Amino acid sequence: MAELHDDRPIAEIEALRAPARTDAARRQACERILGAAEPLLAMRRQPVSSWDVLAAWARPGLIAASVALIVAAGALLSGRVGEERLEPVALGEVLASSEGGEIPALLVAINEPDAEAVAAAALMAGDGNNGSLQDNANSGRGQ
Amino acid sequence: MVPARAGGNPAQDEHFLVERARQGDRDAFGSLVDRYSDQAFAVAYGFLQHVQDAEDLVQDAFIRALERLDSLGRGSAFGPWFYRLLVNAALNRRKYLARRQMQHVPAALAGRESPVVDSERAELRRHLAGALKSLPGDLETVVILHDLEGFKHPEIAKILGIPEGTCRSHLSKARRQLRDQLGEYRRPN
Repeated sequence: MAELHDDRPIAEIEALRAPARTDAARRQACERILGAAEPLLAMRRQPVSSWDVLAAWARPGLIAASVALIVAAGALLSGRVGEERLEPVALGEVLASSEGGEIPALLVAINEPDAEAVAAAALMAGDGNNGSLQDNANSGRGQ
Repeated sequence: MVPARAGGNPAQDEHFLVERARQGDRDAFGSLVDRYSDQAFAVAYGFLQHVQDAEDLVQDAFIRALERLDSLGRGSAFGPWFYRLLVNAALNRRKYLARRQMQHVPAALAGRESPVVDSERAELRRHLAGALKSLPGDLETVVILHDLEGFKHPEIAKILGIPEGTCRSHLSKARRQLRDQLGEYRRPN
């Protein structure tokens, strides 16, 4: 019953209806709107030059570039801070710490190998040793 | 004003007018103003209850629409989009007026009727306007658009961007709240 009652509009609301405008008032209102709109309409009528388009994009472009630069700089700095710094290790130390005299660590190293190690590997390869370094002192001890 | 194109349907005519207004055609924009200004005024008055404020609001809404015409999708209907602008502008305008504590006397009370206007009716009108204003935004808008201006639910749903069912339930809820608030001021029906 309440539902049915609520489905009817409130009769008294008619009292809030807008007063009817006279034709003259209506025409005047329309003219006023068109008068206020004229500067905008005139702007729309002007052809837009490509320079204007570029100028319109310049400011947002500069802002976007600055933001990108700041983000890139931030990423770079934070990457450097978090990065573990690896110092180059002398070949002698590597050989001393490796088992069996081989230095596989060089082959999987993240950092570039020490120049001495590269040279040594190249020399060993020339001897038909298939590029693996043998610690002569260790091998001598083994025999 | 731009005449309707022969053989074209009203919606296509309107797209045509919008396209020409986008290019700054005064007559095309004038035709849009001519089509919508009456109902826009009525809706604005429903919110503000003041003739001059309603006229100003309609003008602002048309200017805003012209400024943002490029954001109206190609082929989208002008009407619902424009009324949404108008309703938002009306709600903002009323908030602004409330902040400035400007008390407007509704035109109906300020001389539109004879001095011997029934004081009970005036009182009812004041309470009705107050009760309407106290409804949450969407509920008030639905009542004004539906009960005052005769918009249909599908139209209101498009204007407010809500489902039709929500629109119907808003109207029902709004009427119930209005009835409760008006109470003694209502004549039995």
